[in-house]
Amino acid sequence: MPLGKDIEKVMIIGSGPIVIGQACEFDYSGVQACKALMSLGLEVVLINSNPATIMTDPETATKVYIEPLKCEYVKKVLEEEKPSALISTLGGQTALNLSVELEEKGILRDLKVTLLGADLEVIKKVEDREQCVKILSHLGAGYAPNCLIRNFKQGLNEVKKIGFPVILRPNYTLGGAGGGVAYSMEEFRVRLAAALAESPSSEVLIEKSLLGWKEFELEIMRDSKGTCVVICSIENVDPCGVHTGDSITVAPQITLSDKAYQEMRTEALAIIEEIGLETGGANIQFAVHPQTGERMVIEVNPRVSRSSALASKATGFPIAKISALLAVGFTLDEIQNDITGATPSCYEPALDYIVTKIPRFDFEKYPGADNILSTQMQSVGEVMAIGRNFKESFQKALLSLEKPEVDCSVTFDEKKLTYPNSERIYYIFESFRRGYTVETLYNLTSIDPWFLEQFENLVKMENQLIEMKNTWDKNLIHQAKRCGFSDQRLARFLKVKEKEIYKFRKKTGIRPAFYKVDTCAGEFESQTPYYYSTYWGKGGIKYKFKKKSVLLIGSGPNRIGQGIEFDYSCVRGVKELKRQGYEVALINSNPETVSTDYDTSDQLFFEPVSLEHTREVLEFICPSQLIVQLGGQNPIDLAGELSKEAYNIAGSSVKSIDLAEDRGRFVKVCSRLGFKTPRSALAHDVQNALSAAKEVGYPLMARPSYVLGGRRMEIIENEEALQVYFIKYGRFFSKSRPCLMDQYLDSFLEVDVDMVRGKDWAVIGGIVEHIEATGVHSGDSMGVFPPQRLKPKVCDRIEQLSLDLAEELKILGFLNLQLAIQEDEIYMLEANPRSSRSVPFISKASGVPLVDLGVQAMMKKSKKEISGQLKSWKQSSYLSVKGVVFPFKKIKKTDSILGPEMKSIGEVMGWGEDYPTALTKALISSDFHFPNSGEVFLSLRDKDKMLLLSDIQKLVKTGYTLSATKGTADFIQKHGLPCEYVKKVLQGRPHCVDRIASGKVVLVFNTTSKSSSVQASFSIRRSCIDYNIPCLTEAHAIQAFIVALIEKKKNKLSVQPLK
Amino acid sequence: MKPGCLVLETGEIFKGFLFSGSAQVGEAVFNTSHTGYEEIATDPSYYNQILVMTAPLQGNYGAHSDFWQSDHFWIKGFVCLEMQNSLRDKEWLEKLNSHNIPVLSSVETRQVVLRLRKKGVVWSAIVPLSKDSFHQALSLIQKEKAQPKDWTQAVCIKSFKEFKGQKRKGPRLALIDFGYKKNILNEMLKRSELVGVFPSADSLREIKDWDPEGIVLSNGPGDPKDVVDGTKLVQKLLTWKRPLFGICMGHQVLSQALGAETYKLKFGHRGSNHPIEDRLLNKIYISAQNHGYAVVANSLPKDVEVSHVNLNDKTVAGIFSETKNCLSVQFHPENHPGPREAVQLFDFFVDNLIAKSQSAPSSSKSSSHLGRTRR
Repeated sequence: MPLGKDIEKVMIIGSGPIVIGQACEFDYSGVQACKALMSLGLEVVLINSNPATIMTDPETATKVYIEPLKCEYVKKVLEEEKPSALISTLGGQTALNLSVELEEKGILRDLKVTLLGADLEVIKKVEDREQCVKILSHLGAGYAPNCLIRNFKQGLNEVKKIGFPVILRPNYTLGGAGGGVAYSMEEFRVRLAAALAESPSSEVLIEKSLLGWKEFELEIMRDSKGTCVVICSIENVDPCGVHTGDSITVAPQITLSDKAYQEMRTEALAIIEEIGLETGGANIQFAVHPQTGERMVIEVNPRVSRSSALASKATGFPIAKISALLAVGFTLDEIQNDITGATPSCYEPALDYIVTKIPRFDFEKYPGADNILSTQMQSVGEVMAIGRNFKESFQKALLSLEKPEVDCSVTFDEKKLTYPNSERIYYIFESFRRGYTVETLYNLTSIDPWFLEQFENLVKMENQLIEMKNTWDKNLIHQAKRCGFSDQRLARFLKVKEKEIYKFRKKTGIRPAFYKVDTCAGEFESQTPYYYSTYWGKGGIKYKFKKKSVLLIGSGPNRIGQGIEFDYSCVRGVKELKRQGYEVALINSNPETVSTDYDTSDQLFFEPVSLEHTREVLEFICPSQLIVQLGGQNPIDLAGELSKEAYNIAGSSVKSIDLAEDRGRFVKVCSRLGFKTPRSALAHDVQNALSAAKEVGYPLMARPSYVLGGRRMEIIENEEALQVYFIKYGRFFSKSRPCLMDQYLDSFLEVDVDMVRGKDWAVIGGIVEHIEATGVHSGDSMGVFPPQRLKPKVCDRIEQLSLDLAEELKILGFLNLQLAIQEDEIYMLEANPRSSRSVPFISKASGVPLVDLGVQAMMKKSKKEISGQLKSWKQSSYLSVKGVVFPFKKIKKTDSILGPEMKSIGEVMGWGEDYPTALTKALISSDFHFPNSGEVFLSLRDKDKMLLLSDIQKLVKTGYTLSATKGTADFIQKHGLPCEYVKKVLQGRPHCVDRIASGKVVLVFNTTSKSSSVQASFSIRRSCIDYNIPCLTEAHAIQAFIVALIEKKKNKLSVQPLK
Repeated sequence: MKPGCLVLETGEIFKGFLFSGSAQVGEAVFNTSHTGYEEIATDPSYYNQILVMTAPLQGNYGAHSDFWQSDHFWIKGFVCLEMQNSLRDKEWLEKLNSHNIPVLSSVETRQVVLRLRKKGVVWSAIVPLSKDSFHQALSLIQKEKAQPKDWTQAVCIKSFKEFKGQKRKGPRLALIDFGYKKNILNEMLKRSELVGVFPSADSLREIKDWDPEGIVLSNGPGDPKDVVDGTKLVQKLLTWKRPLFGICMGHQVLSQALGAETYKLKFGHRGSNHPIEDRLLNKIYISAQNHGYAVVANSLPKDVEVSHVNLNDKTVAGIFSETKNCLSVQFHPENHPGPREAVQLFDFFVDNLIAKSQSAPSSSKSSSHLGRTRR
């Protein structure tokens, strides 16, 4: 039955900011759904608090609300928009939980909104593990012995019956938050307390651990007629015990026989029927005993899940799009398979290739964090690669991670094999190099011998390649390429430059073929140009475009410092390029994104974003231009090499890019124009650094050149600290890649500027004023648009100087600037000749279509041609605040203090008519809890005390009580406010952490700077994370928080669609 | 292991590495199942065929005789991209080798598939790679093509066999063998007290004497048009009016017996992912497929309805006739390999066709369950 007549307007709830366990795969699914529903002529209302995604682009839905994903705000939007239906299954756990809340509170009933997709009963059945267990035993499906725990004492009793090791899973949390494995009673006590606190319903399922069992996932779709298909089977290389989001996975499954697979499939379909899922996607995870083949159900998700994005990209079956169509009444047989254009969607994709997903971890950005993988997800992104066999697919995926460890060399340590960690795969390779056997490794890792054997074979191939030395065997090199060895690694084995391998391949005709992902293993003709490369086919074939064409280089895996913002730029860029009449090809390796949807670009290349693979794509399609400004830093890094090979780079020339990135030359340009620059020096070793530091002066900021997200960036207070810095990071510095040492601008006001320059025009997209002072990485600062503290005349000067700089650098396209301001002096911190992290926020806040303009600038449009689109960023009558989201909760034992190294993972936007409204919304969306009353604990560094005095007075006036460490308490009392004195951690017990743990404290303000005091106060901040108490670590952020705290008490509520 | 190739009658040569020596000839066909290589290779319907698997990895989960669908390998060659061949596990490769099935690995199978899809299935041979490969292959192909046509006779059992079923008081079922897969028998045994397997060369007399309550016509290899005797037998069975259930070749032969035409599909349906619209059960499900021929829809008599449709290409996937008391499907409800939803058709056959014909007063059924003579 096509489209119900009573449905005209549908609301979709997004998934909010990127967090660990719920990343942009839900932006992907939401966007697909919006596209599908709008193409049916429905009105789509979207609510999502995340500005960084293309999902909240005004073009994505009929109306876009960037508002907090909280019940009261969603209710308000429902009241204003009066949609007839709500789809609950496309925005991850966030949307699902919200839908449950809206239904339970009777809001949907009152507003006559139909819930489409899964209904409440289904959600409850599966989310409530006790009910789920009932269903499974009714069907005769296996599950691990378990018990639902509602209080601490019960848990201690029940765990004795189940036995260790035991897994803890809090109910209704995402990405396994608060869960974990306990091997002993001692560990169990600690974990149970945390898990009970984490579950919104204070329920924790404890179950017998299936450690070492093989893990599988099935992605299933069902329609209202009851037709059920399995879109994709996925096998985890890492056995049970590692969250599936953190596991290396392959599709289709490899180690199960048809009999075992069909039994699993049959059981999965029975479960879907039994839980009563009416339409949409679902995902079921299974564990299979490696010897007996016994099978257990691990988890049932009655919605589009994290794996759905992966399964869609792996098979070419658009799960989210079809889910949306099914939700509004279509059935699978009524929807055509886009890829073949001839067959219906009620089929199961057949793959003639192997897909590998590898998660990306950024543990090194979180000092102190334990690199141990468990049932709680910790990865920040993922890559997918396609190859004809496992080896080709796997090695392409490793390369796609864009990590230096791609050469798989680590200092061997057998201990690292015995527990799952983010680098274990490299230790496995290393152990094979040292002659370990598959059997030994199986005993150490429980990874299925089939996979271990594949890794062993890769090492054997490695040895053959190394032994080859100077006599290059064409056949062996071809074989190596068929195993996915990159040119880069071959070059290392053969001790030559990468370029030499490429030349050799070109000469001998070892070139990749580009095969289509066609959903049917070649059985039907494919209409969709969705490609992957493989050395199993015949290379050297060229594709011909019908019109002028470009290749856009995507941003690769999400990581701290480069995330979904670049997917926004890429997707919006593709749209604009198409509008300009270009055929657009895109290369990217990130399965979570909208850019890797097969119908975003005209041609999709699911490939590692490496020099080698980009070059092969370029040779295959020969586009007229190459776009490097939209995908973040990596494409910019590739630009230099590719331009040498005579590829035509659109927009700013490589010369301009180099000028902006070469510190020495850039400083000269700046001072000529009238920017101040921090005193700076370069150093390639510690001696060098120590003498140079004398000129710069302490404190100084040290960092490597060409960095992203402030990697290895630190504030250095003295010589000793500088020496320590070089001990830690010295190996990253050389004469060609020196250490940058800049004067540290303490407590300056910081702003971001994003602008576009065309050949005879330029436009400022906007200026975002950071709420925190300098010293906090710009990605971690909250920001406000338009600036609140910046004087108008300084603002004007910033604009003028930015325009002058763009002119001077001969920018064509984007330019992003980070500036620091003190006493009307403008300091240049950094310039990026590309679309930046702040572009989506600024575009949405100011209404200036920056990406569209950037693309037109790159395409050399003249002022005359674009005149209609030039808007002033100052026209917006609304205020916007960017909030940030940190993963500290998920990454154990790390410090939450903010500094020059970026740590945030997601961002949110709040907007309203005034600063307090926008700020409050941003903080609500960042999931800050606002305590209504209670005790605020303070421990402030000296220079913040006076700054915060009036704010502290406001707190007391509003009814909060105060406690503080000695110095701060003295200061507060001296100013006539009551404040209780609490001991520091090292001053004996009970100390401040005891007080926090006791539940007395509702809010913590802790500012500190010297590294010794940072260390001393670490346990304060960590305990706040562990006990879910808001903790602010920067003075200006504290001021802002107090503004919001008071604003929140007014209980005002307004919502506004994006214009 | 030595260089070898798959040579198509039409001249295309696909290179790879050959395990085991002897050259073999067969019709080149491709199967898109991700799993089930062992079931497929032992399915008699693959008689005289060289099997190209589109899934790149083969032998990856070892080999188990439990999966066999008959007592032999029937394929003439096994072509794949990568064959499991390690010290730990090379069972599947060794099994094929020990049965003298040539295995051609490291073949760019997608190119073979695209060729077969575009131009249709053709005769082919696996031969060692040499300058003379093409001519060697061609002469082998010519010889093989001269062999007798009705392939079902090459694979079916030679004499009657009886199997005790698992369902007490379940109906006596006959299986007319054109090259049956073991799981058809297994599914029948689950629902029956006694199953008799008859060579399809047997006469109506012998079947009547055994007095089955329902008759299943099995799958089998080759062109249904060549199955002349089998078609005649089924024509006679139709006049006897006992409930009939045809599977694959059984479906084609039944259709022919009803007067319908069959034709050769360009490249057949072989895989585990084809959607079927089942108008009897009022469901859409995914089916296991393996056939190179199909029934022409508009050649069916009026009292026979198309009850099952392959939704990919709208070909006839099954027929049903209430008046003639018969049902048949082009796909494989017994699965192995493949999805299992369609297995309900065995229940439908027993619960509807057989049960109904027993309760109908006009039924030609002569005796009650108890008063029957045993053969």
